[in-house]
Amino acid sequence: MKYRWVSLVPLIAAIVLLALLPALVNNYWLRIATGALMWAGLACSWNMLGGYAGYINFGQSAFFGLGAYTSALLMGDPLSLPFFATIPAGIVVTAIFAIIIGAPTLRLRGAYFAIATWAFAEVLTQFVNVVDFTGGIGGLNLPPFLDERFFYFTMFAAAVLTYLVTWALFERSRFGLKVKALRDHEPAAEAMGINTALVKLQTFLLSAVTASVFGSIFAYWVTFINPKSVFGGDITDQMVVMVLLGGLGSLWGPAIGGVGLFVVNRLIWMNWGDTAFYIAILGAAIVLVVLFLPNGIVGLFAKRPARSGTVLDKAVNRLAGGEGGHS
Amino acid sequence: MSRTNLAVENDEIRSAGGYILTVHDLYRHFGGINAANGVNLNVGRREIAGLIGPNGSGKSTLFSLVAGTIKPDRGQIHFDGHEIAGMSPHRIARLGLARTFQIPAMFDNMTVTENLLAAAAQDHWQGAHERAADTLSLLKLEHVADNRASDLSGGQQKLLEFGRVIMRQASLILLDEVTAGVHPNIRKIMLEAIARLRERGISFLIIEHDMEMVRNVCDRIIVMDSGRVVASGSFNEIVRNSEVMQTYLGRPQ
Repeated sequence: MKYRWVSLVPLIAAIVLLALLPALVNNYWLRIATGALMWAGLACSWNMLGGYAGYINFGQSAFFGLGAYTSALLMGDPLSLPFFATIPAGIVVTAIFAIIIGAPTLRLRGAYFAIATWAFAEVLTQFVNVVDFTGGIGGLNLPPFLDERFFYFTMFAAAVLTYLVTWALFERSRFGLKVKALRDHEPAAEAMGINTALVKLQTFLLSAVTASVFGSIFAYWVTFINPKSVFGGDITDQMVVMVLLGGLGSLWGPAIGGVGLFVVNRLIWMNWGDTAFYIAILGAAIVLVVLFLPNGIVGLFAKRPARSGTVLDKAVNRLAGGEGGHS
Repeated sequence: MSRTNLAVENDEIRSAGGYILTVHDLYRHFGGINAANGVNLNVGRREIAGLIGPNGSGKSTLFSLVAGTIKPDRGQIHFDGHEIAGMSPHRIARLGLARTFQIPAMFDNMTVTENLLAAAAQDHWQGAHERAADTLSLLKLEHVADNRASDLSGGQQKLLEFGRVIMRQASLILLDEVTAGVHPNIRKIMLEAIARLRERGISFLIIEHDMEMVRNVCDRIIVMDSGRVVASGSFNEIVRNSEVMQTYLGRPQ
């Protein structure tokens, strides 16, 4: 719990290095760094609910996609809104959908929530595929803006903000205590006066709108989106594996997993092209983590790593039908 | 019938000070089993009432009904001026009712201190850090303050569960076999804590199998069987009621 000044030194060093990065590397590596920051942010968004509250969301890509499509639609004809005005719009659209999905299903056991979020993402993908105003399967183009530094710094700001909010809310406030309490034992949390249904919905909302912000930035960055590129189930899968590998329910786990796996992904792509090799690595990573590393990479640095009743245990128990995430 | 009358008489005697909890004609069935089959009982203000009875007599079901984790089929539960039957657990908790769980319900991935703070996070945050420190010292848990809750021994977990209840600043505390299977030292700490809380005017309803504990702590004993209250009275009254003793408790030591 206690942060000493010493522990802030590597953090400040990392932020300074990241701020200077555009001056140090070429555009090619800057794009990779931009992507790494995005995945660190997305993994963190998934971890808010999955790690801190223990509720597994298999449809997080839906919120990434909602942000991307809202920005694409509003920046295109006929509105042609400025980019930064479309981010709050994406947040509002995402929040509405998150409440519609979360309010009824977060009251149920974890497995129902997981299935509901997965089904929601599928339905949304198919919907975007078939209707006209989203461009259907062909997708949408955004006004091109080819300034790698702009996108690097925008993604950087979004990632820093995401981690700052996560730290303040989940690691440093009463709200975080409530969220972790319901993750570890929902009936006991209720007995402490905590309205668990409400706290879960608030966490889900925050998780969803965070993914939406990264979706907006991503759409403008790549200038072209289609249902597969922003709603694809593999986007959620990657967030899940990144968080598991880095450390479920920890602040820095998603950053380590997100940056690590994305860089591995790019290195494989550079050397062997678009192969299924990366998917095999993801699969192996899940197996290894579940078997040997329940606390992820950050668990390796813990003085006394948890052995029983880990965050992973809680989430898996809940997914398997345990009512309060306890066996 | 005669046994039920005994319960009513004793309750009337205690009505002078007013009741913090009144359960009236409470029913709840699971399939064909009537776990609560017309329960009537009262707990007076500042009273420590012991709830005893054989396994399956409906004690834990009654706790769950009062705490709101199970909804009654019918009947009333009046707590501190509020009708709480069917209310959600967190709302009942906010009215000032706190409970422990039969199996320690730890927040496993949080430290001992965080467990205590979490108990106050909703509605008693003012001064929570100081009270957590006081509670740690009262329960002699200072040396494990920064340990994960799941790393504690069984007895320490029971203490921590009790500590969270203290942090709730409740007016009525339901304890479900808190001293079962714990080391005598830990039991002693708990009994001292209960005495301290009673001085503050807190009432207790305690499920307990250990008759020695019941005799030492409880002002009054309520006996349940087959989903209803069959007797109520002082320890000596209950012990003298040989029918109750033989049927439900076995011979006293």
